[in-house]
Amino acid sequence: MSALIDDYLAGLHRRLPAALAEEAAAGLLETYEHHLASGAGDQEAAHAALAEFGDLAIVAGEFTRQAPGRRAARLLLATGPVSGACWAAALILSRAWTWPVPATARLGFGAVLLLAVLALLAAATSRHNYQRTRLAMLASPVILTLDVTAVAAVVLAAPAPTLALRIAVAVSLGRIAFTAWTLPRLTAR
Amino acid sequence: MRADAQVLKGHLDTLLLASLENGPRHGYAVKEALRAGSDARFDLPTGTIYPALRRLEAAGLLKGTWAEAGGRRRRTYELTPAGRRRLASDRIAWRDFASAVSAILEPAP
Repeated sequence: MSALIDDYLAGLHRRLPAALAEEAAAGLLETYEHHLASGAGDQEAAHAALAEFGDLAIVAGEFTRQAPGRRAARLLLATGPVSGACWAAALILSRAWTWPVPATARLGFGAVLLLAVLALLAAATSRHNYQRTRLAMLASPVILTLDVTAVAAVVLAAPAPTLALRIAVAVSLGRIAFTAWTLPRLTAR
Repeated sequence: MRADAQVLKGHLDTLLLASLENGPRHGYAVKEALRAGSDARFDLPTGTIYPALRRLEAAGLLKGTWAEAGGRRRRTYELTPAGRRRLASDRIAWRDFASAVSAILEPAP
């Protein structure tokens, strides 16, 4: 087999998860064999197949831009400000700083949220690096857990939730449902 | 022609769904169907068909399964019921658009 094709296949496997690389590789090999079968020499067939298939950067980039992790991260980030604003308004109106929540719990929640948002940003902005889109697989369950924690805290601890708190809880429940629905798709093969 | 490629790219999702209307196909066969159906004017890098198929699968419009053929594992795609509905509505939208443009570009004498 042509070294050009070998290099390309190795590049696919280096840049993409195994199942995606295998599928694209089968397509390239079929194109290459098609040119060989129609009488082209090895080099000629390899050049024709690669020209038809597209540069490795284009194909791997397209897989990355259309990765489910990148799309899920973008949706979570797009809805994040709405959820954040609802919770901020609700907590300020409820004078949440007077609640008996330990400072370490507040700081811990904030730090975990910040890390998860940073991971989502990295996944959402990846254009050429497929691995980076997989950060969404780590960050989505964390966001889910934070939403569940916030809802549980209000339900269990707030004596009489205000309207603003109820709205914030409803927004979080919506995000919980959405995240739980996308999670299996992020890991699907 | 470059313009043809741009127009085709804008309708890639619909074309991919249409190429699977008559039964399951794997990626290479989808590509061949697009090329044959478009008089070889379909000149997108064919490697980009695979990510597009994956995206349509994640959207629930296609279902992909691995199958062994000729000693090589290939992924075969078929339309889901949602994919069939999307294809039907895309087809109606395209006919409306095409007849509106035709009416302007080729007015009856």
